[in-house]
Amino acid sequence: MKKIYLVLIFMSGILLASDVKPINNQLALKECGSCHFAYQPGLLPKRSWKKIMRNLSDHFGVDASLDKNDNTKILNYYVVNSSDNSKQYLSRVITRYTRSDKTPVRITLGTVFLRAHDELRRSVFRRKSIQRAGNCIACHVSANRGIYNEDYVRIPR
Amino acid sequence: MKKSFLLLFAFTLTVNAKGFNPQMQQYINQLKSQAQKEKSGFTDFNAKRGQKIFTSVHIGKRGKNISCSSCHSINLQQTGKNIHTGKLIKPLSPFANTKRLSKVKDVKKWLRRNFNDVYKREGSAMEKGDVLYYINSAK
Repeated sequence: MKKIYLVLIFMSGILLASDVKPINNQLALKECGSCHFAYQPGLLPKRSWKKIMRNLSDHFGVDASLDKNDNTKILNYYVVNSSDNSKQYLSRVITRYTRSDKTPVRITLGTVFLRAHDELRRSVFRRKSIQRAGNCIACHVSANRGIYNEDYVRIPR
Repeated sequence: MKKSFLLLFAFTLTVNAKGFNPQMQQYINQLKSQAQKEKSGFTDFNAKRGQKIFTSVHIGKRGKNISCSSCHSINLQQTGKNIHTGKLIKPLSPFANTKRLSKVKDVKKWLRRNFNDVYKREGSAMEKGDVLYYINSAK
């Protein structure tokens, strides 16, 4: 009987585990999340985060500069929890499928993202309720908890 | 007649402003002494001038027409929307959102960033003060 419980607890652990580690840093949540969905560090390798944080004054055409102190703190958090430093499922997949000679900065152009969304027409992303591919939480209702699997998807009209 | 009406309007804007908290008032005072150095004859910031800075359209950092209102909307009591990401932006007016204009660090950060995005340069002390007066008075 005890064994069954142990097995159940173990299985629920698997079912409830997040695909990437959720952000547990208030500064990162505030600063990254003020303009867009706060992407978890486990979605890109550390070399990508270094590149992104170095170029914040021209962040995809927008000035997202931070003071030095905050920049360093956030970069450290993102490096420590980057995909290549994470054991979570999605982080490991992303690390495996990112070419080591590339430093991607757009999650939505990565192999893993493209393959996972290949059944969707691009027009779906442009719906008013979604706006763009990078708006994870529009469809992945638990994206802020690091959950991206298909059981937690609801595509709005 | 028209002029006096405008003056009256400008006057109402100033009178209806919320007071700044002590840290913010200190920052405003810094901007004032800077503005005096930048422009002789400067007396005080002006919400009406700030409104023009806020709503006028310019070719921004991305090479496209943009104004502060593009994201913050014309009515500062209302929720805005980031035109690049679609993320909603809580109202800028302290009357609608008491957290606004309360932390100097955040205010400086956003003035730096958003002047660059819209004007492709940093704002002068006078421009910053004018915009802050406008936001602080926008009912």
